[in-house]
Amino acid sequence: MGILSLLLWTPAAGVLLLAFTPGQNTRIIRILANLFTTLAFLLSCWLLTLYDQHNAALQFGEYFPLNPNLGSAYALGIDGLSMPMLILATLLTSIALLASFTVSSSIKGYHICILLLEFGMLGVFLAQDWALFYIFWEVTLIPLFFLIGRWGGKRRHTASLNFVLYTMGGSVFMLVSLLAISQYDLEHSGSLMTTMHQAAQDMPRYEQILVLLGFLIGFGVKMPIFPLHGWLPLAHVEAPSPISILLSGILLKMGAYGLIRAVTMLPEAAHILQPFLVFLALFGMLYGGLLAWRQSDLKAMVAYSSVSHMGIVLLGIATLNEVGMTGAVLQMTAHGLIAAAMFLLVGLLYERTHTRNIKDYSSLVQVMPRFTLFMTLTLLAAMGLPGSVGFIAELHALIGGFQQWGGLMIFFSISILISAAYAMRTIGLLFTGPVKPQMQKIADLNTPEILAAGLLVAGIVLFGLLPAPLIDLSAATIAQINQQISQRLL
Amino acid sequence: MDALVVLIPLLPFIAAVLIGVGQIAQLLSGEAGESTTAIIATWAISMSCLLALALLGADLLGKNTGELNTGQWLDSDNLHISVNFITTGFNVVLAALFSLLLVIILHFSINYMHREAGFHRFFFILSLFASGMLLLVLSGNAVGTFFGWEIAGLCSYLLIAYAYNRPIAAINATRVFVTNRIGDAGFILGTGLSYAWADSIVWNDLNAASAQLSTSEATGIALCFAVAAFAKSAQLPFTPWLARALEGPTPSSAVFYGGVMVHAGVYLVCLLEPVFEQAPFAMAVLAIAGCATAIYSFIVGLTQTDVKSSLIFSTSGQLGLMFLECGLGFWELASWHLCAHAVVRGYLFLTAPSLMHNVQDNPVKLVTPAIARLRWAYVASVQRFWLDQITDWTLVRPIRRLAHDLNYFDDHIIDRVMGAPAPAIHTISSLAQLEEKILGARLDNETDEFAHGSGLAGKLTEWFAALMHWFEARFVLRSIGKDTNRYGRKLGHAANKFEQLILRPRYLVLFVFITLLVVF
Repeated sequence: MGILSLLLWTPAAGVLLLAFTPGQNTRIIRILANLFTTLAFLLSCWLLTLYDQHNAALQFGEYFPLNPNLGSAYALGIDGLSMPMLILATLLTSIALLASFTVSSSIKGYHICILLLEFGMLGVFLAQDWALFYIFWEVTLIPLFFLIGRWGGKRRHTASLNFVLYTMGGSVFMLVSLLAISQYDLEHSGSLMTTMHQAAQDMPRYEQILVLLGFLIGFGVKMPIFPLHGWLPLAHVEAPSPISILLSGILLKMGAYGLIRAVTMLPEAAHILQPFLVFLALFGMLYGGLLAWRQSDLKAMVAYSSVSHMGIVLLGIATLNEVGMTGAVLQMTAHGLIAAAMFLLVGLLYERTHTRNIKDYSSLVQVMPRFTLFMTLTLLAAMGLPGSVGFIAELHALIGGFQQWGGLMIFFSISILISAAYAMRTIGLLFTGPVKPQMQKIADLNTPEILAAGLLVAGIVLFGLLPAPLIDLSAATIAQINQQISQRLL
Repeated sequence: MDALVVLIPLLPFIAAVLIGVGQIAQLLSGEAGESTTAIIATWAISMSCLLALALLGADLLGKNTGELNTGQWLDSDNLHISVNFITTGFNVVLAALFSLLLVIILHFSINYMHREAGFHRFFFILSLFASGMLLLVLSGNAVGTFFGWEIAGLCSYLLIAYAYNRPIAAINATRVFVTNRIGDAGFILGTGLSYAWADSIVWNDLNAASAQLSTSEATGIALCFAVAAFAKSAQLPFTPWLARALEGPTPSSAVFYGGVMVHAGVYLVCLLEPVFEQAPFAMAVLAIAGCATAIYSFIVGLTQTDVKSSLIFSTSGQLGLMFLECGLGFWELASWHLCAHAVVRGYLFLTAPSLMHNVQDNPVKLVTPAIARLRWAYVASVQRFWLDQITDWTLVRPIRRLAHDLNYFDDHIIDRVMGAPAPAIHTISSLAQLEEKILGARLDNETDEFAHGSGLAGKLTEWFAALMHWFEARFVLRSIGKDTNRYGRKLGHAANKFEQLILRPRYLVLFVFITLLVVF
């Protein structure tokens, strides 16, 4: 059993163990769950030390045929795209559990769901077989449906149903696309990503476009891309805060990750659809930003800002050049850290005050100086301030976009301007202003909360000041992808 | 011995940092902390004084190599700036002299400033100044000297505004600082020209290269540095700032305008002697400006009624003489004059507060009757030749008017178009708003009031945001989210109904009947 399997099955083992633990023992359940997520995090860190970042090929590959007739296999492997996502997934799951100490009802079910979710997420990033990928993609839905529907806010049932229906609707298109590609797999050599890659090259041009559109719908729902984001505001707002962290931190990245894989497989179609993709990206960025600006609900604001920021990822992918692609990959990590930190902090604030309306807050710096520090840094990073990881990512995407489209990037700048508007306004309304009596007796962050928020904010600032390790992690893989794409486009 | 030179400016700087941090962390405050602050400053500056003396001794014994390079500060394309120091000659003499004066004046200030409100601040600034000044005289290149030059200027500004709650002190400090910036512009320009024409900003290399410079190039460089020197040493037309600078506490006047800082200009000119020698016109300018300042200061000094003012005009007069000496080519004399003057003037300033006490029953000598009868000269002297007014009239007012016009443009045109940021504090600004709030009558929609912009750009954003919001609410959230559910449910009901209908016996029979009919 290789290290990847070990990492993948650690949360699953946790699920099994928790299932046989009596539900009254809440302390033990919490400790066990935290133990397994920490173990997974440590394993992923170990994996990072073993990982050779100069090698663009798949590493630590594992292969075990599952269904010889269909050609599906249990194939795992990692490259520069999945490595940062794996670390992010295990880190954010640990942080989400740290933030879950206030969950009080049916603790056993809650922790089982979270571990199951981690299992699914790790599976998506590890899978090197489209069939396996699809299975794990669907596995993440089940725990999320329960997590939102059972532990969410007032409109939780609508939110969870909406979320599942949207994602299922999208993944049907993805499945159809995958089947369409496998039609051209004449030797029936299976559903491995590499063989599908070969098969996709033999397809006629117009079919490639249709297939890519199918992928675009499937992954676009998750990412989300502009008209398909309907589930997001509701799900993010209604989900409990730890789940919002995972939703925005990792689940959205699954869509982007899948889309990069799909675009690598079908570069000609992506090249033809390029104007359409850039329109979606830029429009989504402006649309999300403007709506975030209108929200007086803090969580809704963060949710719409996610739409805006994931537009940058789509833009980076759509450039089909190396800098832009680097920007997309960096933005996935950057947004993972920033959105997670923001949802974490907003959630902690909500637990204390039970209001999400930004206008109820005022002058929090006096009572919560530590919270203020973290939140301000995060909001500044969200607007892409130099010195934060958001800036590095946005700069790459901007340069990539500029190489491809030039002056069109003015809309990119406008969206950054809008993000600055709502970030600065939030800082102003939350932390400055006249002292309100009802905002006077709020406790500042305690040690586990500082640990959780500090880890994320430290990552944001550290990678903003020293981005080279983060860029180098994916550089080789991105260079290879770019080479493949440019070969096909010739 | 050369390596000592690094510590000489560094020690006072460390002292300044310690005092500054101590004050921010509230470790040094009030009377209790006075001795600690004084000890830190005294130790640091005494140590650098000893080091400077040791360096001087080593230099006199001929043990110094003359230059010390401690590494690269900036390395960009073909611009390389290193951190280097001069460890020989006039620079070391000045460093030793200035640090000695600094130690004495520092010691004097400990008692003089006792229980003053800004005791710690004073010593912080004094330590910082000591560091800047020693860097100024020891640095081997123009950039290092400029660092010291600016630190000294900044400290001068901070000490003039020592009593910053008095408007006059604040105004004078600003005026002095701005006047000095004109000289700084000359310094920067001179540095740039040296780099462009002589390919070096290291003083020694620049001096060595001066022989290869054409007369016009040498004149250009020399004039730029001359402007810097004139501003720092209060030569015409910059002289009036010196009188304004006396707002600070007496020890700071002694150290800045008596003993140390005002001599920086003369030092700079002496340092660039070979360059000036190549530029006869610049020499003439030095001589004329120095001579004019000496005469001006003499005439104005005659009518001053307070001790510090007469001292300061005598200072600028002496400095004028030094520039005159430089301009006439008596460089050695000028440098001796500088050292002697620094010592005497430092002493005079320190004794100024007790002067009246010391000279009691000893009336001031009157001017000769021949001069006393010149009324126009008296008016001119009292008005200090209207230099301040002329500057106001030719520079300050036009710039202020321009700023006013631009401000109007900004307020009335740019802000209207681009919109001004909304204040974060939404406090009640009028009685009507208060009443509205009491009555609970919010006249406009909650969300619309939240997301509002001002100016053309702000309004555009607002409208677009409203449009997007409508789209989001109508199509994305309602049609896909709710309406699909509703239609799905309706469809489900219809299907259920149909199912029930066909299961009824009569429809079943009918169905069987129809099937039979079709088959046969």
